[in-house]
Amino acid sequence: MRNFCNRTRREFLWQAGAGFGSVALTSLLSQDGFLNSQAKAADGVTPYANPLAPKPSHFPGKAKSVIFLFMYGGPSQVDTFDYKPELFKLDGKTIPVKTKGRGGEKNEGRVVGPKWKFKQYGQSGQWVSELFPHLANHVDDIAFVKSMTADSPIHGSAMLQMNSGKILGGAPSMGSWINYGLGTENENLPGYVVMLDPTGGPISGAKNWSCGYMPATYGATVMKSKGSPILDLNVPDEIKPQMQRTLLDSLAEMNQSHQLRHPGNSDLAARIASYELAFNMQKHAPEAVDLSQETEETTKLYGLDNPRTNDFGKRCLMARRLVERGVRFIQLYSGGHHNDNNWDAHGDLFNNHSKHAYNTDQPIAGLIADLKRRGLFDSTLIVWGGEFGRQPTAEYAEGTGRDHNSYGFTMWMAGGGIKGGQSVGATDELGAAAVEQPFHVKNLHATMLHQLGFDPNKLSYFYGGLDQKLVGVEHVQPIKELIS
Amino acid sequence: MPTLRGQLSSRLLPALLVGFSVVSWTASLAVAAEADAKSQVDFGRDVRPILAKACYHCHGPDKAEGGLNFTDAKSPFGELDSGERGIIPGDLEHSEILNRITTADDSMRMPPEGKPLSQDQITTLKAWIEQGAPWESHWAFKPVQRPAVPDVTNKGWVKSPIDAFILKKLEEKGLQPNEPASKAALIRRAYYDLVGLPPTLQEVNEFANSSDPMAYEKLVDKLLAHPGYGEKWGRHWLDLVRYAETNSFERDAPKPNAWRYRDYVIKSLNDDKPYDQFVREQIAGDELKNATDETKIATGYYRLGIWDDEPADRKQAYYDEMDDTVATTTHAFLGLTVACARCHDHKIDPIPQSDYYQMVAFFRDVRSYGARGDKGEANQIDISGSDLSRKHMERDRKIRQLSKRIKEIEQAAILKMPGEIQRKTEGDERDEALREHLRNHLNDEQWRKYEDLKTQRDRVKEQELPPRVSALGVANCDVNPPETHILGRGNPHVEKEVVKPGYPDIYNMKDPEIPAPGKDAETAGRRVVLADWIASPDNMLTTRVIANRVWQFHFGRGIVRSSNNFGLLGDAPTHPELLDWLASEVVAKDWKLKALHREIMLSNAYQMSSATNAKADGMDPQNNLFWKFDMRRLTAEEIRDSMLVVAGVFNPKMYGPSIYPKISDEVMAGQSMPGAGWGESSEEDRNRRSIYIHVKRSLLSPLLAAFDYPEPDSSCEARFSTTQPTQALGMLNSDDLQDLSAKLAARLQRERPDDLQAQVRLAYELITSRRPNVEEIEMGLTLIDKLKAEGANEDQARQLFCLAAYNLNEFIFLE
Repeated sequence: MRNFCNRTRREFLWQAGAGFGSVALTSLLSQDGFLNSQAKAADGVTPYANPLAPKPSHFPGKAKSVIFLFMYGGPSQVDTFDYKPELFKLDGKTIPVKTKGRGGEKNEGRVVGPKWKFKQYGQSGQWVSELFPHLANHVDDIAFVKSMTADSPIHGSAMLQMNSGKILGGAPSMGSWINYGLGTENENLPGYVVMLDPTGGPISGAKNWSCGYMPATYGATVMKSKGSPILDLNVPDEIKPQMQRTLLDSLAEMNQSHQLRHPGNSDLAARIASYELAFNMQKHAPEAVDLSQETEETTKLYGLDNPRTNDFGKRCLMARRLVERGVRFIQLYSGGHHNDNNWDAHGDLFNNHSKHAYNTDQPIAGLIADLKRRGLFDSTLIVWGGEFGRQPTAEYAEGTGRDHNSYGFTMWMAGGGIKGGQSVGATDELGAAAVEQPFHVKNLHATMLHQLGFDPNKLSYFYGGLDQKLVGVEHVQPIKELIS
Repeated sequence: MPTLRGQLSSRLLPALLVGFSVVSWTASLAVAAEADAKSQVDFGRDVRPILAKACYHCHGPDKAEGGLNFTDAKSPFGELDSGERGIIPGDLEHSEILNRITTADDSMRMPPEGKPLSQDQITTLKAWIEQGAPWESHWAFKPVQRPAVPDVTNKGWVKSPIDAFILKKLEEKGLQPNEPASKAALIRRAYYDLVGLPPTLQEVNEFANSSDPMAYEKLVDKLLAHPGYGEKWGRHWLDLVRYAETNSFERDAPKPNAWRYRDYVIKSLNDDKPYDQFVREQIAGDELKNATDETKIATGYYRLGIWDDEPADRKQAYYDEMDDTVATTTHAFLGLTVACARCHDHKIDPIPQSDYYQMVAFFRDVRSYGARGDKGEANQIDISGSDLSRKHMERDRKIRQLSKRIKEIEQAAILKMPGEIQRKTEGDERDEALREHLRNHLNDEQWRKYEDLKTQRDRVKEQELPPRVSALGVANCDVNPPETHILGRGNPHVEKEVVKPGYPDIYNMKDPEIPAPGKDAETAGRRVVLADWIASPDNMLTTRVIANRVWQFHFGRGIVRSSNNFGLLGDAPTHPELLDWLASEVVAKDWKLKALHREIMLSNAYQMSSATNAKADGMDPQNNLFWKFDMRRLTAEEIRDSMLVVAGVFNPKMYGPSIYPKISDEVMAGQSMPGAGWGESSEEDRNRRSIYIHVKRSLLSPLLAAFDYPEPDSSCEARFSTTQPTQALGMLNSDDLQDLSAKLAARLQRERPDDLQAQVRLAYELITSRRPNVEEIEMGLTLIDKLKAEGANEDQARQLFCLAAYNLNEFIFLE
């Protein structure tokens, strides 16, 4: 066997388990529940352990899956959920306020009053602006964190931090951590799925869903609502399905005759089995995202009947179907490309946020309602937010555009054992910086891991001489108030 | 069990620390080895890992509570603050540490937090004290001693001293090495190991049928002289130095001329440049006495990492760049995890925080990669020749001055424009916005001045000069860099005591006296001192680390499996004497790696078959003892390059700017600007070796990435070798594979027109470098027949057969 030094020991365990012939080792591992799900390889004899076979977490988690609704570009907190009455009155006035964004650090700025009215909703009385009329009906299920902070107010590094915990590249993204920690319940589907906006990917593209120093096994699969749902999933048109089956049977036969000449090498068996898994994926993945199986009532709930909400609605509905089929981590991007194709409202705040909020409001409300009525809400953690928020002041001498703000912004969580109907933490009266109970992106990650059943400070992977963690080396607490 | 590591930390870590290398697990499967272990406890292998994990936190490099420090050879044996002695060799009763770890009194028991030590760990510590508690320093931190070649029983098997070291351990366990591999398997193994490409059937046959006793030796020499050697082994090196050609982050902009560094690596290896020289050039190629363009290109080494052109905190970003340099340098050349000491003393290895910052101090004349929008002043070296170079510099200076004045006028006007337009001036629409609005925001005099400056600049730009030639590397060094401070918890804003360039404490060497740079100095003169020290034959880590890497890339794993980490948390060597022998060979062979390859490949150990053997497999399933040669999957590049060869379209052209294979729109859709930063290459160029593919950090070639091409943001010591269904999907359905199958089908039809049987035979020969047997040809023909019966025409059936052939395990796995 190859190198199973520190950084590959994870893989080593998998291979060791894959019928490596080490009885002692295998039994040692199975005692620990490591190899609790073994399928047979194509030959029907060789045990084949999928590296993504489900694994127990540190303790039973409330959530089984995460749907991360990434509002790429950075939604403005003071125009969405963080109600700041003072700010309306200050509209147009230049005031002292410390800000830092792509335009650098400033000590004063012209206030842009929030462009939407706020109202309290639900029994819990959460504030929501007019931007989210549908979502407002669900606030009693939602916990708002109004004191989020991040290390960078610049897209590139802030995106990396929201996704991987670090402002530098090379670390695995959260979906990879979850895949690594939990595996997937459905080996016919990827365990970690990313769905992009039709205008394009986010800044840094695939870096945002990289598996970093972990093996590719834990990487993300990009799924689409149009065409082939997964890269290279569809058999080319000119090859009839039966022909592919014939080819695979013949290939298996040839590979098995080769394997017979090399007994005792589990890698060969694993590769034979991987072709059957691929074949199954070809069968199951299209079914998983086939929305024609949904009733008209359901598709309307997600806004599929409205061209504005159709796209994000479809992806939300696909996400629900994937959750039902055991996919662990699904990330949906609202917004792609650059500038006003996402929430990055530097120019005209009103047009920008009106557009993106409208496109996503009903689909997200529909997703919550649908998960609830199907009994999936409590086991599905929904996370909403961008890589940072926006400043209360204007970026330019004229206009309503707001620059980036990582000193204070709002994110919310719902489902998956999160205590809804509350707001935690607060920004100052301008909404410029977190002042009460500030939380870092790391606390958000820790909360997510905790809900999945992990001690965030113990889910680690040895690399570069260190026990690396999603939350970093320093001890990090989940946001306790959110945990029911 | 929670997570792999969680579980390991709580239960198996002690074993792990000994070298997950499973020295302990396979622990040779307990029985035989256990008896050994009881009779002779090894301090480095068995004891230190327990102390490191359970005790160092309070009694280690950081603090010595109660006067006890387990990283010091004296402290545990002397009198502690309590008046007791920690360890009294041979005396179990009065050795205080034993009392403290075994006491039933919770308030007294050590360690104070977490679980008590396991019974096994306690037994090990007792046995060690009983045996006199011999204290040795960590194996890797001792000077290399050329060991005597051991005596073995089966002397006939020993072709090289390597074999004696391997056989000695096998014989101790009552095992025998495998039979030699078949000649067909051996030549394929040698081809892939040295040049990463398959042999032709003719080459295989000639080799297999040769009666020349020197045939194998000649083969090895031929392959070492093959230009593909540098391309294959260069790729190993590029993994180690995190080679990529873009900066990552929002723009993921290209690093101009990065390819010259890649070519430098390939050429250096092909020239068999001594490794010590190779090290010196990369670390201080600009500071060497006889620096040349080539040695300056080598400093591209510093410029390959990620670089944030728009950092949230500039100082932090600068030290992140420094960290990338320190981490890569210490991992790649020294196998040390010095980077773990950035924020505090290393928790396990004897590496204090000052070591880290003393290492930083060596690199302080290397400026940050650049500033957004600059012309690469710090990272582009002019290698045009002095005269042309001077003319370019003069012209650039003039343009820079004029542009600065032009921009000042523009910016002053922009501030008066509406926000919408200001926003436009920050992006691609700047020129357009200025054309429309600038005039309205300038008075006549300002406008005249503006126009005049632009005319002047145009005139300078019109002067024609031959293009300058540049290389990526270290340019415009900071000759007198600021002082280097230790940073509190690694925070760049918390400067503590000043440090000077110096070597890690484990070397126990005086820090170098580096004279202040002279008047005409272009660098601070520190890196060359570091380079000489790393490349010294006396550096105990440098030679071990490179010897181990060469071994690793031949045998699939290092003698030390954690080849970037020779510290206490790394894996112990499975064959420490062999490693030291190889390390001393590096120096004995004048640091020439080709001689080392030759020594290794001519050994019987390298030529063993990969067949399994029930007895050996039962005793040593991980092949720790090298009783067989491990099969391996081809690397991503080997798979792609081999498919091009088989398809008959392979283009062996070497060197030059990178190439862009086609990437599907589906994959491009993940970019914020689909297609941005990806060029187009001619079909001929696209058929070149994978090492020439442009390495764009945010857009790695999907075929390569699927087969475990590493994330290039940090040094990769060993690639994964995963097996996943997504690989199968790509190998069956991707455009690349459709294209390659069509090309192979066309080749078959061209070379064996209208003879299906001959075509099937040829396909097998190309894919496996051997003649197929009758059954195999039958299987191929049957597949084609079935496909035809299902409606495929002959062309399509042939093409699908070719597709199947690329997917054969025999093609992807090497014996």
